[in-house]
Amino acid sequence: MTSVQAKGHTAPAPISETELALQGGWRVVVLNDPVNLMSYVVMVFRKVFGYEEARARRLMLEVHEQGRSVVWSGLREKAEAYAFTLQQWHLTAILEPDEAH
Amino acid sequence: MKRIEVKLSLPVVAPLLDVIRESSGELELSLAAPLTISDLDADFHGAWVDELLTAQNDEVRTLLALFDGEFFSDGVIAIDEKNAEPIVRACAAVRLGLRARQLHSLKEETLESGDVALAKLAEPVRRAFLCYLFLATLQELIIQHLDASIIES
Repeated sequence: MTSVQAKGHTAPAPISETELALQGGWRVVVLNDPVNLMSYVVMVFRKVFGYEEARARRLMLEVHEQGRSVVWSGLREKAEAYAFTLQQWHLTAILEPDEAH
Repeated sequence: MKRIEVKLSLPVVAPLLDVIRESSGELELSLAAPLTISDLDADFHGAWVDELLTAQNDEVRTLLALFDGEFFSDGVIAIDEKNAEPIVRACAAVRLGLRARQLHSLKEETLESGDVALAKLAEPVRRAFLCYLFLATLQELIIQHLDASIIES
């Protein structure tokens, strides 16, 4: 997975289920906009999250067709770092508590 | 280093550059995609915005540098592995800025499809829309030829 370059953030160690349960999970949600190209969004998902082309394309289509897509979930600190990186690419991202955890 | 050179029509592109420069100027103090995470600590929020704005302005400067004096002599722009990422991001920022300020009267479906009767648009909107399409074309070229270097960098 590619590096996340948010100020004050360092890539955290892999998350255990116990750690996630204790700290609570967060979702990174990308919202649709009518401006950014589909190919651009796919490239950003591949670049930021290291996703394969097919997964990145599926998430992009979800954003396009449903207006939003959960592109990552995990610990708050890393979710913030991803949201920051997506903003650097001029995508609109929000964070939501992951109620599954 | 992988590099693409694009020969542009000076009579077509030159008039669009003023619109791109104007829109770029409007982005100096505001983010193209506003920060939407509301529950950040105020200091942290401020630091994020400052850092995002600095990066956005650097990217836009890289985009504008494509159209320097040399461009006006031969109509050629060169994009390589070094400037591809800032330029593709700057194109996104300027397109978002154009949409927010000059193209807000157009429907979302129109912006997504690019299907519009140009002759029916008022002149400032028509020029802004042509810029919007031109920057999208530039993005597509970069993604088509240089996406691997961007993803792996």
